[in-house]
Amino acid sequence: MKTTGINRTGTDDAMADMKLDAAQPVTAQAQVVTQIAPAKLTLAEVRAKLDGQTGRRFWKNLDELADKPEFQELMREEFPRQSGAGEWVDAVSRRGFLKVMGASLAMAGLAGCTKQPDEPIYPYVKQPEDLVLGKPMYFATAYPFPTGAIPVLVKSDAFRPIKIEGNPDHPMAKGKSDAYTQATLLEMYDPDRSQHVTYRGENVAWARFQSAFATAAKQTGDGKGIYFLSETITSPTLAVQWQQLQKAYPAAKLVQWEPVNQDSSRAASKAAFGSYTDAQYKLEEADVILSLDADFLSGIAHPGFLTLAAGYAERHRYEEGKTPNRLYVIESMPTVTGFKAEHRLALKPSAIAAFAQALASGSSPVGATAEEQKFFAALSADLKKSGGKCVVIPGEQASPAVHAAAYSLNAQLGNVGKTVVYTETVNPLPSDQTADLKSLVSDIYAGKVQWLVMLGVNPLYSAPMDLEFRAAFDKVPVTVHLGTHVDETGSLSTWHINKAHYLEMWSDARAYDGTLTIIQPMIDPLYGGKSAHDVFQALLENPQASAYDVVQANAKNYIKGDFAAGWRKALHDGWVEGTAFSPKTGGGAPSAGSFPAPSSTGGLEISFKPDPSLYDGRFANVGWLQELPKQVTNLSWDNAALMSLATMEAQKLEENDPVEIELNGRKVVAPALMVPGHADGVVTIHLGLGRRVEVGRVGAGVGFNAYLLRTTGGLLSSSGAKLTKQPGTYDLCVTKVHSIEHRGKLAQSDLNKPELDTEGTFSLPGHEAEERGVIRYATVEEAKKTPGFAHEGSPLRETPEHETSFFPDAWNYKKTDPSSLKIQNAWGMSIDLNSCIGCNACIVSCYAENNIPVVGREQVKIGRNMQWLRIDTYFEGDLHAPKAHFQPMACQHCENAGCEQVCPVGATVHTPEGLNTMVYNRCVGTRYCSNNCPYKVRRFNFLLYSDYETESLKFMRNPDVSVRSRGVMEKCSYCVQRIESAKITADKENREVRDGDVVTACQQACPTGAIVFGNINDKDSKVAKRKAEERNYQVLADLNFRPRTSYTAGVINPNPELA
Amino acid sequence: MATKNPIEDPMIDPRTGEYAVIAPGHNFKSVTQKIAGIVLTSNTPLGWFFGLLVGGGVATFLVIGCTWLFLKGVGIWGVTIPGAWGFAIINFVWWIGIGHAGTLISAILLLFKQTWRNSINRFAEAMTIFAVVCAGTFPLIHVGRPWLAYWLFPYPNTMNMWPQFRSPLAWDVFAVSTYATISIVFWYVGMIPDFGTMRDRATLPLAKYVYGMLSLGWRGSTRHWIRYESASLLLAGLSTPLVLSVHTVISFDFAVASLPGWHTTIFPPYFVAGAVYSGFAMVITLAIPIRKFYHLEDLVTLRHLDNMAKVMLATGSIVAYGYGMEVFMAWYSASHWEFFMMWNRMFGPMGWGYWILILTNIAIPLTTLWSRKLRVNVGYLFFLSFVINTGMWFERFVIVVTSLYRDFLPSSWGTYRATKWDYMIYVGTMGLFTFLFFLFVRFLPMIPMSEIRMMLPQTKVKRGGPEAETVIEETA
Repeated sequence: MKTTGINRTGTDDAMADMKLDAAQPVTAQAQVVTQIAPAKLTLAEVRAKLDGQTGRRFWKNLDELADKPEFQELMREEFPRQSGAGEWVDAVSRRGFLKVMGASLAMAGLAGCTKQPDEPIYPYVKQPEDLVLGKPMYFATAYPFPTGAIPVLVKSDAFRPIKIEGNPDHPMAKGKSDAYTQATLLEMYDPDRSQHVTYRGENVAWARFQSAFATAAKQTGDGKGIYFLSETITSPTLAVQWQQLQKAYPAAKLVQWEPVNQDSSRAASKAAFGSYTDAQYKLEEADVILSLDADFLSGIAHPGFLTLAAGYAERHRYEEGKTPNRLYVIESMPTVTGFKAEHRLALKPSAIAAFAQALASGSSPVGATAEEQKFFAALSADLKKSGGKCVVIPGEQASPAVHAAAYSLNAQLGNVGKTVVYTETVNPLPSDQTADLKSLVSDIYAGKVQWLVMLGVNPLYSAPMDLEFRAAFDKVPVTVHLGTHVDETGSLSTWHINKAHYLEMWSDARAYDGTLTIIQPMIDPLYGGKSAHDVFQALLENPQASAYDVVQANAKNYIKGDFAAGWRKALHDGWVEGTAFSPKTGGGAPSAGSFPAPSSTGGLEISFKPDPSLYDGRFANVGWLQELPKQVTNLSWDNAALMSLATMEAQKLEENDPVEIELNGRKVVAPALMVPGHADGVVTIHLGLGRRVEVGRVGAGVGFNAYLLRTTGGLLSSSGAKLTKQPGTYDLCVTKVHSIEHRGKLAQSDLNKPELDTEGTFSLPGHEAEERGVIRYATVEEAKKTPGFAHEGSPLRETPEHETSFFPDAWNYKKTDPSSLKIQNAWGMSIDLNSCIGCNACIVSCYAENNIPVVGREQVKIGRNMQWLRIDTYFEGDLHAPKAHFQPMACQHCENAGCEQVCPVGATVHTPEGLNTMVYNRCVGTRYCSNNCPYKVRRFNFLLYSDYETESLKFMRNPDVSVRSRGVMEKCSYCVQRIESAKITADKENREVRDGDVVTACQQACPTGAIVFGNINDKDSKVAKRKAEERNYQVLADLNFRPRTSYTAGVINPNPELA
Repeated sequence: MATKNPIEDPMIDPRTGEYAVIAPGHNFKSVTQKIAGIVLTSNTPLGWFFGLLVGGGVATFLVIGCTWLFLKGVGIWGVTIPGAWGFAIINFVWWIGIGHAGTLISAILLLFKQTWRNSINRFAEAMTIFAVVCAGTFPLIHVGRPWLAYWLFPYPNTMNMWPQFRSPLAWDVFAVSTYATISIVFWYVGMIPDFGTMRDRATLPLAKYVYGMLSLGWRGSTRHWIRYESASLLLAGLSTPLVLSVHTVISFDFAVASLPGWHTTIFPPYFVAGAVYSGFAMVITLAIPIRKFYHLEDLVTLRHLDNMAKVMLATGSIVAYGYGMEVFMAWYSASHWEFFMMWNRMFGPMGWGYWILILTNIAIPLTTLWSRKLRVNVGYLFFLSFVINTGMWFERFVIVVTSLYRDFLPSSWGTYRATKWDYMIYVGTMGLFTFLFFLFVRFLPMIPMSEIRMMLPQTKVKRGGPEAETVIEETA
């Protein structure tokens, strides 16, 4: 609960002292200045006097020369009176005037128009009691995301948040995290955030808005004409404030709108249960999981991602005597969920609904192919067999029909109450957002709207096109925009209020399971931002009440017992006990047929999906996420018209062709990209890119804007699209196989000449990966039969015996330190490929922890992306229905590291604990190490990538990790700073480093616990146990590099009927 | 002058039947006048100014390129991950290789008493030095932090750090710096008697002074000659292993790495042979226009060109054997990595590089050089020298780039595209080389007068007798 407030107090005192001290001389000086008498002597006269001297006259210095009262007087004058350049007392020349004006303008510019933040440079006079400089503190809070709050623990160094982790104490998060939440750190320090309240473009005080708004509201009497257009409200306190506001102004209206919303599930649940309902799935209980377009493993875009991913991975872990779960996925665009599935069926969005309804009704799907029929039969049999131990999950971006079918299926299969429970909604004010937005627009046209207060939304960018929101917007007399950026909407609004980031404000929110978290600020708002609480409060009884007061007042409703103690505990723990939802009982009998399946008018369908990295565009100016290779496609800094090879063939397109997509008369040009396993006859486009220049230096002009095609009737998908190839090519930025043209050509040639490829259409990288033993996996049956399957087959799979190698057995470290008899540390990592879901959380976590720079599109395109960790995606088998495997790849910390041997200056060396360390200061940048690294995990600062200029980013950096300059090689360090910190703590407590003391940033973020790190000398450590498993293998083992990171081969559980 | 019938060849000494190196009709004076006259004339040919201007103009690319490079970093080049080495290393190896011919001519051929070398050894050595200058630029500018490149040298420092001696790059530093030192010393020592001649013949006071200083008090006494000869022999003895070792060490830069396509034991011999191959091609590139321009056909005769072409045929065949062995071993080793590398090198997306290499390094030269007619065809040799040096550049391109861009993990495969800065700096070093060479032909005797004089029939009347020495002293 310590914020910079304390910091301020100390420094302000000191500053006041200093001012007092300084006061005396200032006045004294002023006296001198006022007492200057007009000079009696000019310089010319002095010269003349000296000229007149005869004989030798030496003078040692000016003092002697000036030993005359007249001269001293002359010197006292600031400007000696010279002919032509006298003081500007009377006649000001035009040039002189301009000079003075120019200088003063420059000075004014330096000073800025508003008060700059205080920047005291002296140490604390009174150091805050619990602050030890260099020792970070951790505070619990939560990231309010529309699909549910993500409980986090924020690492704060000298009261600057520098890292976001999952909250390990939280019953739902259990310390897990995801890519978006990790990246919100950079979102807060975004240098392009809006910094002022503005009225018609001019900076004004917040109080002026408060009074203007309150006056306007009072004039309306009942609030008629005051409309709020808010992002999904996640805060119960905000909901209470709204209810209070409604009491005061009953005619005021609230519309919630998110471009990526949960309308489908809202509509279906209302129809099924009579009220809006959320579903919670318990995947740890489920043997069979069916996802109907639900991408629940990709990130928090799907509600309950952390719980679902953990539950899935827990049951997918292969152990003796345990059968892993089986996942079926039906989707159009391949996602990480689809590729983790044992069986995946690619269908058009319209066909998914039909398929789901057929499943629910038990009739076979109409017009299905033989392959689909087989899938259908096997799937329904499998679901029936495991009734009560299976679950059907509908996707938030699937149609209401899919949701209705899922409700019905779960009820039929007896899953309700076991693997799925229904609860009240996480969002306190659930609504049908699209319908509300439509009625808002019609109200605008009806002239009913006087004040449109937009809270955190950007409708001019993201509103459906058929609403013509721009035209409507211009009809509103007063528009208010609360936003983090002066974005597309903010730049045109009458009022713009700079929004506080969640790390800067007080609020509260509910997580997926309903648990309440109080959001507490980690830092004083960097630019004095305001939150929606403040905007609502402006119209309420006590407009000066801060968000803190409001949140605390509301907390009295749910914190039981002694409030002061309960409040402290809630803030400390990051959650409030006893606030989780209890399952709803009863409810109507859901019927599958209550919603029609979305009709397909034939022709090409377009499916709109939130971007895997940028969501709905809110992260467009977050460099980490822009540069993050998107799941499955590995696109970075781009979005594309994603389609299958067959679609591409049918449309006579090739990869990188610019394509004009025409949908109901609206057009947008997008580059085409083939995605293995994409459904035929549908093109997926990702929302959230194509932002205009207002978004900031990172996101402006990246990709194309898919919202330009989106209408209220087809928010999720639309049919009847037409593709027209445009001249030229667009060089897409794909990180995985940088020579994308080769990949495309290869795939094309396989398709054109199938006779040349006897074993089906292989993508070469996947084929090679199998040959090289990079990816190893087996089915449950195979694994049972041959537990050591990971070590059979290719001769490339094994590390050579020590006897066959010339290398000394130097990796055989002493197990104990002879002097202290403590276990010698030998750090190692193990990554379970069964658990890795390719969600990218680890990469973003690594960005934040290790101060990794963002390099930009052009650099990524030529292969210079700087991520220390990457998720390698290998496709296997038929290009139309491939399998895919994810493999996190970072420095392997080899025992026989090739990099160490070839560095001419010894800049990369081995530590006694087995770390392969980079000494940045010593590196001269020959890049030989990278050439000799078989894993190509080293990253080089080819240019000056780190931002040394931007002030706000300096606060964000991890002080324990160097910011690398140009010309230096870098790579994964196994988070050596965390290792050292754990060792220091252990040393102080005179003990060994215990297993679990060191948690690397990637490991910490991993939602499925795929990454385990620790001391491999300690036989009881988790990592040593994992490495002792038979499925443990090393990538490129035959090279004898002896990597310290090893992988656990995957085991999948396919349905024998579909094998 | 080429003839079908060697019996009628005027180059054959009718008395001894020996094939003369120098055209008949020359005596000590004519040789001295011819060579010293090029330098000591006051009428500099306009063509020289033109050449110097072109060379200097192109060399400014190097200056511009390096300035931008130092300002921005090596990212202005096409290097990336996985192809972290590119043009800089290719050019480095290429230039160093070119230098090898000079050392071979001055050292090994001296030891083998191949007197024909005398006509070409001075400018071949100059070529070596300028090539090493160009080559030496690259390792320094190719590092990420060139202002710290001196850390590669072992020098006492407060950091208490030495270079990491297991790295072939550290060996490179020693190999190249030794090579440069010995080459310069050898070149200079060889020029001392000629500087004496120049001093004596110069008329301008400045020239007299400079050549006088450079000649180190050379008086041509017997004692001087004895010391000169033994110094030459010693330096030749020192340089001889360098011919083999420098490129061997440079080949270690690749061979020591574990990368398929680099990790091979055949590299040292095949690099050395390739170096000599490209070096002789460069000597021919330089010798043909010079002998034409300065009318030195009598001193640099067709026999020289023929001999050099034979050396190229021999070394080219070794190189071809090397290529063959690489392919054979890719199959014979039964290593998946090697096999894929070779397949990818030949038929992968950058396969065109390999086939250019085969065409220019093997197909064209090794089929035609067997013919004596073509070996003494000046125009063809001039053309061929460019073909071979293109081929040798592509050899390094194939080794560096096609091995790197697709190695072990398919996920990290990439590609390599050179940028305009890569080309600019490469072309710039060619300009620098030309510029230095033009300065050299204008200010230093490009053919060793003393050694040519010794090849004249006059010296052979009484070899080693007192008259011979007297004659030499007189002309000096």
